[in-house]
Amino acid sequence: MNFTLHIWRQENAKAKGSFETYKVSDISPDCSFLEMLDILNEQLINDHIAHPVCFDNDCREGICGMCGLYINGRPHGNDDGVTTCQLHMRKFKDGDEIWIEPWRAKAFPVIRDLVVDRSAFDKIIQAGGYVSVTTGGVPDANAIPIPKRFADMAMDAAECIGCGACVAACKNASAMLFVGAKVSHLALLPQGQVEATERVKKMVCRMDELGFGSCTNTYACEAECPKQIKRQNIARLNREWICQIFGGNKRPE
Amino acid sequence: MNLDSKIPEGPLSEKWTNYKINQKLVNPANKRKLDIIVVGTGLAGASAAASLGALGFNVDIFCIQDSPRRAHSIAAQGGINAAKNYQNDGDSIERLFRDTIKGGDYRAREANVYRLAEVSGDIIDQCVAQGVPFARDYSGLLDNRSFGGAQVSRTFYARGQTGQQLLLGAYGALSREIERGSVRLHNRCEMEELVIIDGRARGIIVRNLVTGKLERYAAHAVVLATGGYGNVYFLSTNAMNSNGSAAWICHRKGAAFANPCYVQIHPTCIPVHGDYQSKLTLMSESLRNDGRIWVPKKKEDAEAIRAGKKKANDIPEKERDYYLERRYPAFGNLVPRDVASRAAKERCDAGYGVGPTGLAVFLDFADAIQRLGRKVVEQKYGNLFQMYQKITDENPYETPMMIYPAVHYTMGGLWVDYELQTTIPGLFAAGECNFSDHGANRLGASALMQGLADGYFVLPYTLQNYLADQITVGHIPTDTTEFDEAEQSVRQREERLMAIKGDKTVDHFHKALGKIMWEYVGMSRNEESLTKAATMIDELENEFWQHVQVPGDIESFNPEMEKALRLADYFELARLITADALHRKESCGGHFRTESQTEDGETLRNDENFMYVAAWEYQGHGKPETLHKEELNYEHIKIATRNYKN
Amino acid sequence: MDTHKLIKISSITKKLLIGLFGAFLLVFLLFHMCANLLILLHDGGKAYGAFCHFMGSDFVKIFEIILFACFILHAVLAVWVWFLNKRNRPVGYHKPSRTKTAKGSKLAIVSGSLLLLCLVFHFYDFFFVKINFVEGTYMVKTEEFMNNSPTLEVSEEAQMVFLNLINDGKASDDMLWIRQISAEDKAVLQEAFPEAEFEPDFYTIAHQKFSVWHIVLCYLVFFFLVGLHIRHGFESAFQTFGLNHYKYSRLIEVLGIIYCWVICLGFAIVPIGVFFGL
Repeated sequence: MNFTLHIWRQENAKAKGSFETYKVSDISPDCSFLEMLDILNEQLINDHIAHPVCFDNDCREGICGMCGLYINGRPHGNDDGVTTCQLHMRKFKDGDEIWIEPWRAKAFPVIRDLVVDRSAFDKIIQAGGYVSVTTGGVPDANAIPIPKRFADMAMDAAECIGCGACVAACKNASAMLFVGAKVSHLALLPQGQVEATERVKKMVCRMDELGFGSCTNTYACEAECPKQIKRQNIARLNREWICQIFGGNKRPE
Repeated sequence: MNLDSKIPEGPLSEKWTNYKINQKLVNPANKRKLDIIVVGTGLAGASAAASLGALGFNVDIFCIQDSPRRAHSIAAQGGINAAKNYQNDGDSIERLFRDTIKGGDYRAREANVYRLAEVSGDIIDQCVAQGVPFARDYSGLLDNRSFGGAQVSRTFYARGQTGQQLLLGAYGALSREIERGSVRLHNRCEMEELVIIDGRARGIIVRNLVTGKLERYAAHAVVLATGGYGNVYFLSTNAMNSNGSAAWICHRKGAAFANPCYVQIHPTCIPVHGDYQSKLTLMSESLRNDGRIWVPKKKEDAEAIRAGKKKANDIPEKERDYYLERRYPAFGNLVPRDVASRAAKERCDAGYGVGPTGLAVFLDFADAIQRLGRKVVEQKYGNLFQMYQKITDENPYETPMMIYPAVHYTMGGLWVDYELQTTIPGLFAAGECNFSDHGANRLGASALMQGLADGYFVLPYTLQNYLADQITVGHIPTDTTEFDEAEQSVRQREERLMAIKGDKTVDHFHKALGKIMWEYVGMSRNEESLTKAATMIDELENEFWQHVQVPGDIESFNPEMEKALRLADYFELARLITADALHRKESCGGHFRTESQTEDGETLRNDENFMYVAAWEYQGHGKPETLHKEELNYEHIKIATRNYKN
Repeated sequence: MDTHKLIKISSITKKLLIGLFGAFLLVFLLFHMCANLLILLHDGGKAYGAFCHFMGSDFVKIFEIILFACFILHAVLAVWVWFLNKRNRPVGYHKPSRTKTAKGSKLAIVSGSLLLLCLVFHFYDFFFVKINFVEGTYMVKTEEFMNNSPTLEVSEEAQMVFLNLINDGKASDDMLWIRQISAEDKAVLQEAFPEAEFEPDFYTIAHQKFSVWHIVLCYLVFFFLVGLHIRHGFESAFQTFGLNHYKYSRLIEVLGIIYCWVICLGFAIVPIGVFFGL
């Protein structure tokens, strides 16, 4: 298969970027999208055309959350429930023009080409996305039974890989699905409920500070989440927030 | 070199307790005066940094990715072992210990493994308290699975993402310490040099991957938690950026490297499908519970399938060779990883392999679907089937999966004593990057256990023992000659690579190295193949230093430079793996020497001559390394032959 | 509380307030729609007139103020959030988004702005008459008018107007209301009867307006926009108040669709009905 690629090139955070057009040919349909970019880079180096295209990637099996490209108007490309590394070229048509852009958000500044800085996500988690236990001195693992339903719902939320597709897809660059997933995960478990009130307050305030937008219930995040995390987690975040406003620790599920 | 394993006195079950009673401690006010560097944010690194930070030490933690949560521990699927005996099926610390020793083919240190089994239960408690959503049954209590190499169900799991959930737990604990100010996070930084002052590890030089600038960090102790070196094979289940350089840098500076030839090959991975392929994807070991592995009985059929003239379903039942069931009637498809991998290779080498490359075998679920119904199979393995379909575009409910073994885990690593301290004082190694607990083969679901045991429950104790006499040292300045020299050596290395301006990419050499390693130092090795590999590696390395092309600038965001630096170390590492494999004239666990096998092609250990840990000492570039032996004394366990036939 | 903190309301709280005011407007719409249906009764505007009279009472006026406050706050907050959100992606994408999303939400700011525009025309037709901003058609209670009528010094002009009203069948003793008083007539009568309380005759106004096809069409577009906006609003309110849950998100969705259609059709049937004389 042959493709024409329009790729965002930007030398560093301060430089002015622009799209450059490259052609790749003889790509196997079984090739993954990132492998296609590997081939392009090989070509760029060998033919001394340009500096290879920088893009984040690591595990290449859809779990580390490192990769993330905005491909033809969709984060992680034109397939549902996959990360960019799981996208395969058979999803494209021979001769397609492919536009590749980095995540665009104030909170995710571009580092180089398609690489963005997502440490804002780390900072949100640092604000309170955990249970404050230190090592040791904890009760036996089976001391507190947790209904399977709750454990399962918590796991659904906990599957978030922190790739940032939700922010990239959102017209407001909002991180509500990311925050909602973490708040939900911990609010559904008795271990996390102790600090639930404080947690939601700190995480949401940190999120606002870092320049993420506000949610307008468009659910683009849900549509593009590679782990298919549901909007109900945002509702739970809102619920936790309301409880926090009224100061109570008595919260509905 | 003195390999003192520092195993505490007393009976095996009391060693760790004795150690803790007699060790030295640092009082809270003094902890603030002590700095610790942790390299790596996987299970071992994150849990160690979080625990040490909570104790009150000043911790600096480094990761090469953009966030600590990206470390490759996140990709572990199956689960984590712990001797909780929640199932009342006869599990105990002793039994987990024995299974691990046996699984490691009697090449692990008893005391370490026993301690691992001892703290395994605490890990689960800790993780549950952190909010890790382990699978539960309808009573609300924790559920367990069984895994290879055990007769009990002791594996805790969180769907197919156990590693992810455990790592996020440790990442949460780490994040809490970062917020409290006890830990400082340095992301997108790669360790390039270890700084040794007066014989002790005192700091590191890192390359800031965003700017390309070198930065200096000093501390009273350095903890390495940088994972394994499986990517020396280029294609492996490791992440693209996983590398062995940090460990290798320490090895160059004097840390002994133990058992490098013990590499685990995982039997169920999606086969290679082209030259452009960058990585192999693992399909969970749990698939072998219901899937049956086969190849055609007739070579003509195999050829027809390879040519695409026949499909798997065209082969009638009586023309199929279920070779694992044939060879190992007692364990069938559930033999340990090394055994299953070798059997697959044997069939493919004999010309019965399937798939376009001939390097694949079928993993068939037709029986399971018939027996259990498609729904049950879907519930059990749905996400794996979906993953397989996404990658291969084939529906595993209708046609059998194709699988082939791939490099997965490295049991070898930096030599450490009971305290996890390397042969360089003040340099500790935790998790996959040390060699300690898995012997010659790791059991499924034990890697997560070891990483967390080291980080949560071992290092917080043993580091204090080391640091107790460091309280008067004061913060270590970074403007000393040792730091100058270390930084200079890194810069020179970078400049040397940059100056080559050759005509071939880094990946070109890495792929070539991978091919040599897989072909000659892979699943089965012999004197001839290993000798050949040694020469080929030397040649390739020479070519690399003459023809590699690193584009861009040193001081910029430059992934090609990162890759080149890592590959330069891989050549040396590959040589050591080959030398170690060549010297170990026996077969054990993941190391299979064709000269040393039983009549039916099983591993044949040579306990008389090789019952030791091979710890290698670096002698300079290109020079043969010196072998040091740490004899393994089994006081507690009775040594036997592994038998999976009956 | 210092002003800085006041302005920095959290993003979720802002949404909550928008939702809260929006929810009040949603309920109001249902009420408004039910009232409108009275126009379709073939009772010569008796019921609707009574309703309109009730709406003129002081008690209702308080609600009117609340309603306007809600409306303004809803709009101001929404525009504010929209404005703030625009800043979170300083560099946009080259390729327009192809993500499948809830269209209603994406278009909420557009449909909301258009609604505001439509509302001005709607107010011109109805509400501005009520507040005497524009002239319309009026009515007055017969009983009240008769009792209050100062029999002396009624100008000839006023007598003529009154006689015409009786002759046209717009006024009689047995009718509760004297209706369909034009603005000029009202001015004459008011001069003669200073104490008479004239009210806008919305029943008649509605019939006048809805007999013109292009006005009917404009209103149908207006109701379509209302529908689009509440298609987003209804579900969204549940989401924002944290009431969405796996167990009943489907139910909320269905209710939202039903609510949307009920409001839309309920409003639309009035101009259509009047136009076709149903």
